[in-house]
Amino acid sequence: MSSHDVTLAIYSALAVAVVGVELRSRKPGSRIPSLGRAFSRMMRTRSGRVGIVAGWVWLGLHFFAR
Amino acid sequence: MEREVSGAGSSPPASAVSSAGAFTTVDAIVVAILVVAGIFDWLSGNPIHSTLLFAAAVALSWDAFARRRSGELEVAAEPSPVARAVANRVPIPAALLGALAFSVVVGGFGRYSWPATVSVLVPCAFALVLAWRRPDETASGPEPFDLRGAVPWFSIVVAAGLFELTNLFLQPSMKTDSYAHPTFSVMTDPVLASHPGRSVVLILWLALGWFLMRR
Repeated sequence: MSSHDVTLAIYSALAVAVVGVELRSRKPGSRIPSLGRAFSRMMRTRSGRVGIVAGWVWLGLHFFAR
Repeated sequence: MEREVSGAGSSPPASAVSSAGAFTTVDAIVVAILVVAGIFDWLSGNPIHSTLLFAAAVALSWDAFARRRSGELEVAAEPSPVARAVANRVPIPAALLGALAFSVVVGGFGRYSWPATVSVLVPCAFALVLAWRRPDETASGPEPFDLRGAVPWFSIVVAAGLFELTNLFLQPSMKTDSYAHPTFSVMTDPVLASHPGRSVVLILWLALGWFLMRR
């Protein structure tokens, strides 16, 4: 297994972890907030909103803009 | 610790938000993340993108210190009628059609070209203005949850950030991609090389923005 494969495997594991935690959060009585609920909480304040939206903006610029 | 907010529907206007006026822990964490991300983006050869992150950090710091200096309760600005209409009243089919058209058209522009840059900047600017002007949530906001429950999310974010950083440092240089240790950006390059790939990524990016702005 090459370093490239290991890297891909780790990224895949992280993606699976996101899906797993989200599914777990949707079980009745779970203490884990869903991703939507966690974002709602973070978007309550200006600093949270601007921080998160700046991250989203950065993604768009990073992939497409000069 | 987040700043206190006044209850909705109480004597002040619904949009009125009281603020402790201090540089809160949340402010400090967000500013620190923006600065660190900006530094690494700069080192990776993206000074323009990192400037955005620095600008957001400076704006938030200025806002926090201005509140502290005034020592007054802040009244959050009312969102403009246009912003309210877009946030709450744009029919979903119209938004979907607009996003689809945007993705198809802008996906046709080359990556890092001026047309692509200007096109992407439009929704970016709009989202930043909306995020800045939206009043802070009041008592009508989402139900609070036990922050310890968010540890799995926090762990994933930290792990992903550290792994991305590791791959960045394992590159031959900060500005040279590595096949053996690709960053997330490098892995997306083949997808973004084609018009359909760019359009798909653009619509996913817009969907993420929509999801965030509706929180």
